[in-house]
Amino acid sequence: MAAPAKSTDASLSVTAGHSANVSSAENVSLQYSLILDHLIGDKRQIKDLNPTVMGALPSPQKTDEQKMIERGMESCAFKSLIACVGGFVLGGAFGVFTAGIDANVGLDPKDPLRTPTAREVLKDMGQRGMSYAKNFAIVGAMFSCTECLIESHRGKSDWKNAVYSGCITGGAIGFRAGLKAGVLGCGGFAAFSAAIEYYLR
Amino acid sequence: MDPMKAQQLAAELEVEMMADMYNRMTNACHRKCVPPHYKEAELSKGEAVCLDRCVAKYLDLHERLGRKLTELSVQDEEVMRKAAAGTG
Repeated sequence: MAAPAKSTDASLSVTAGHSANVSSAENVSLQYSLILDHLIGDKRQIKDLNPTVMGALPSPQKTDEQKMIERGMESCAFKSLIACVGGFVLGGAFGVFTAGIDANVGLDPKDPLRTPTAREVLKDMGQRGMSYAKNFAIVGAMFSCTECLIESHRGKSDWKNAVYSGCITGGAIGFRAGLKAGVLGCGGFAAFSAAIEYYLR
Repeated sequence: MDPMKAQQLAAELEVEMMADMYNRMTNACHRKCVPPHYKEAELSKGEAVCLDRCVAKYLDLHERLGRKLTELSVQDEEVMRKAAAGTG
């Protein structure tokens, strides 16, 4: 793909070999090296590259503030924060729901035959919800952060990003219980991510 | 040749050169960075990062090649002048 890179060739039709003096219509001899110096060499004028001048569609220029906001919203930190908060909410809902259909909620381990009071049941449901919420938040933040970093590094946007970050997340979670659990976690989470990506794409 | 005249000529040519460079750069970077599977309208993070890198590389390349081309041009002109002076 050498042709697109040497952009000055076609527009100037200058080749390094033909730099002899050539007469133009006004009988002024052209000295290519001088012109080139001012055009693409050291004496060229440094201009502010504005796409509208160069031929793009005229569109309102973004202010610096707007650019900063957009850059912040596209950053990996913001994305993982969103995933963390979303995971927290989802985990909380899921935990409370799971506690709702569980028969052992609120049971006092010292006296299992006594029916628990409403306050004890609610407290237990809240604890379970919070535990699920924290887990989901951490997993979500890790997955989103690693996926964003991998995508930024590769420069491509396809299904492999999710698989790689799923492996890393699953591996990191499972690694606390030993190497084999880490490998299993990597494979399992990667397969899960691959399935979700297949469904989404 | 008068340096002022050279500068004027260069200023006239520059607009066309910039437009041509912008066109080619857009085409090349679009071909390299945006695969033709359009699932959504917005640029994804990977594509945006790729485009940033592509534009930076393209402009860097343009500058280096320009400098090298002017060097070679000057050298060639020296040779031609010596040859013309030798035979003339």
